[in-house]
Amino acid sequence: MGSYVRPKSLGINSKPLEPDDNLRTSICCLCNGGCGIKVSLDHEGKVQAVFGDSDNPYNKGKICAKPMEIAQTLYGPYRLEYPMKKVNGKFERISWDEALELIAQKYNHYIKDNGTGSVVGITSKIGGSYSKLAHSIFSKLTGMANFGTGPICMESEFNVRKEIFGNGSATAPLSDVVRSKILLIVGNNCAQTKAGQFHWILEAKRQGTKIVVIDTRFTETAQAADRFIQIRPGTDGALGMALLKFVIDNNLYDQTFVAELTNGFEQLAQAVESITLERAAGITGVPENVIKELAEDLAVCKPGMLFEGRGIVCVNNAGASLRAFEDLMVILGNVGKPGSGIISHINNYGNAKGLIPKNHVVKPDRKRSAVDLYQAMEEGDIKMVFIAGNPCVNWPDSKRMTKAIQGLDFVISHTLFLDDSAILADVVLPATHWLEEAGVQASVHRVLQWKDKAAATYAEARSGGDLFRQLAEHMGLESSYFPDSPAAAWELERTHNKSIEGITIERMQRTPGGVHFPCPENGPELVRLYESGVFPTHSGKVELARENALAIDFIDMYDSPGNQGISREEFPYILSTNKVASHYHTVCQYSNWAVEMEKPYVEMHPQTASELGVIDGDQVRLKTSTGAMVLPAKITLSVPRGYFSTQPYFGVHSPYGKTPANSLFPVAVDPVGGNFPNKNIMCAAKAEGGQGQ
Amino acid sequence: MSQYAMLVDVSRCIGCKSCTVACMQENGLQSGDSWLRVRPRELLTDHLVRYYIPQSCRHCSDPICVAVCPIGAIKCGEDGLVIHDIEKCIGCQVCVTACLHGGMKIMNNGKVGKCSFCSHLLQRGKEPACVTVCPVDARVFGEREVLIREAGLRMTDLISKGTDVYIKGTENDLTKVLYLLLTLMAHTVADSKESVTSSDFHNPI
Repeated sequence: MGSYVRPKSLGINSKPLEPDDNLRTSICCLCNGGCGIKVSLDHEGKVQAVFGDSDNPYNKGKICAKPMEIAQTLYGPYRLEYPMKKVNGKFERISWDEALELIAQKYNHYIKDNGTGSVVGITSKIGGSYSKLAHSIFSKLTGMANFGTGPICMESEFNVRKEIFGNGSATAPLSDVVRSKILLIVGNNCAQTKAGQFHWILEAKRQGTKIVVIDTRFTETAQAADRFIQIRPGTDGALGMALLKFVIDNNLYDQTFVAELTNGFEQLAQAVESITLERAAGITGVPENVIKELAEDLAVCKPGMLFEGRGIVCVNNAGASLRAFEDLMVILGNVGKPGSGIISHINNYGNAKGLIPKNHVVKPDRKRSAVDLYQAMEEGDIKMVFIAGNPCVNWPDSKRMTKAIQGLDFVISHTLFLDDSAILADVVLPATHWLEEAGVQASVHRVLQWKDKAAATYAEARSGGDLFRQLAEHMGLESSYFPDSPAAAWELERTHNKSIEGITIERMQRTPGGVHFPCPENGPELVRLYESGVFPTHSGKVELARENALAIDFIDMYDSPGNQGISREEFPYILSTNKVASHYHTVCQYSNWAVEMEKPYVEMHPQTASELGVIDGDQVRLKTSTGAMVLPAKITLSVPRGYFSTQPYFGVHSPYGKTPANSLFPVAVDPVGGNFPNKNIMCAAKAEGGQGQ
Repeated sequence: MSQYAMLVDVSRCIGCKSCTVACMQENGLQSGDSWLRVRPRELLTDHLVRYYIPQSCRHCSDPICVAVCPIGAIKCGEDGLVIHDIEKCIGCQVCVTACLHGGMKIMNNGKVGKCSFCSHLLQRGKEPACVTVCPVDARVFGEREVLIREAGLRMTDLISKGTDVYIKGTENDLTKVLYLLLTLMAHTVADSKESVTSSDFHNPI
């Protein structure tokens, strides 16, 4: 693929935007922050600029760089225009009908000969609510098992919270933070990853909320906080357990709440018994008095909130950290009250039920975990894969994923770009961008907001909603179950899901900032969960301990999957990827501006640099048990010694033109929650090509 | 001199670079041609101090770039803005070296480019693009007197919380873009420097 055009003329090199009085309103669908945006179109209906929507009560006109980069991603050289089929290793243009007929034939063939489990979907952001519903109907009709963003993003967080509360959703909206007395931010650089909504946290700070950040890196969020506690990578679980022990031992917890609304307190107390302040200090590197002071602050400052991030979710020992911090909030009674609870971008409003008669539902004939997926593809158990995303870049061990996909019989990619995964496909189908599709978008404030289609559909692109319905028709399946428009899809979903029954499109449009869920028909919206004191667990109470197992078990990250058995002599350093403000998903990286704002680099402490004999900008080769890549050094005191941090993703077939960072991360999951780690993996490093000493 | 100004509050900047991209979008700038760049700075005292310094033209009332430009491509407008004429510019880049604030940027084509204060937006009664997007109000546009008061309030608040800051651009170095800067950093690495290399860590000025 080519590169973006750079004018080298000596004339005027800037031309201000034409004023546009006809801006379209939309909601940004990138980070689940849910920022309102205004879109300016050119005469062809193409996006030429994106601004913040000052009427949206959540972002108040403020936005980060990502939505502004969209025009470049939409009309850049990587965007796919029409369906193509691979013939003798080269892509040839075909019509949508030809493509759908070919896919339908193959699909029916594999199901008949190899069973429903021989076809799987790997989907990330496959579009908005319309596409998601159509995808779920299609999966039910065909028995297609699907791998979504769960294992690469939030599986551990979702599962642990579901065990505790009976629901993986955020319990409180971010906007509640102005009512809290203390906000605990753990492994979360929300100043960069939710930049458009970060003003809520700064506003809370101005109003007196104490902001405490626990992180391995001195992040932008830490910079803005009242207190920053630097912790050794992968030891958050031990800190959480020590806080629990101190709070329990000193009777600082909410005894009424614990007695009336929780189960398993004794088991929890027992599980944290051995993690004394002294022991935790030894593990985490956080001094005893700092842990003690934090515990005392949490006990005094109520209500309090917790905002966890990928720093304790996308790691190989996520389970213990998540359980410890969430249990801590529970025993302090920080649940179900204004200004208390857990903030998250996980918005689980449940699935529509009864869309298809039971006798038409087909179940996948094989069950596989995210780790099993690799092996099943390699061994030929899976014949065909439907990709809507970029697993060769955003799933771990990119080299292995690439090889596994190459070995399949038939691969389809429904995609915006001819990216590292699409390039391997037998058939590529152009997808619509979320600005080219109407739908519902959730946010970190626990609201659902409606957005109309803002931009003209690009070339021959089609949404997942249309694609799955048309594919079902070609396969001879009952296509009347499918909605035929985004509005019809939402109406269908809403009327088959009690928790969103009251959230009509009209009501979302009428309510600035959208409607909180759950929200029954004609009923009030629930701003925060569990105010009634009833929890959707089997017992109706909060489950502080895991069933049939130790309540929490802290396992060192060196003894956890991915690092277990790796030689510390050979791989003495630690490598993490950490998100930045200029890009979020792989999609954001198809913008020249994103690449310019965040050129590839690897952050390291000056002492690490001097160990390697490199100075700022020198190339450094990083190597793990699964792969290697070369990145320029960026020397900073914000990371600890012996620790490397780079940005996620990249990709050979992207404007970065670089090995995916995930090549360096092994196929291993957090044993408790099931998340792949993209942080805290053991690595080796040396100066590249004759540099250094 | 007309009364509007801009305040850049370095204590609030979270380095998201939204302002840089908004500037490029509004002014139709290609990659590499940005007029506004955000640079990280760090210093190790008894703890780590790190902040971001957004660099762009400060629209000085007595600009050195106007004085050094050999062909008169840079002029002071009646409204107090410093205007650079890209057609006249010969790309000698003397102004880039002379500017103390890192405000003059070298473009892809070798000529110089700089912040126009989004004067085309001001004419339509709007504020500059970088101000509109800033998610943490680190950039504020308004009447000069109001902004100086706002800066004073922010300064008092920050000092009361133990962060020593000072206002730049109101006294002998009058500029249209006012800065609230951290005192701690004033004597370390020059804010105008494009980037900091590892040697700066060992030899702070």
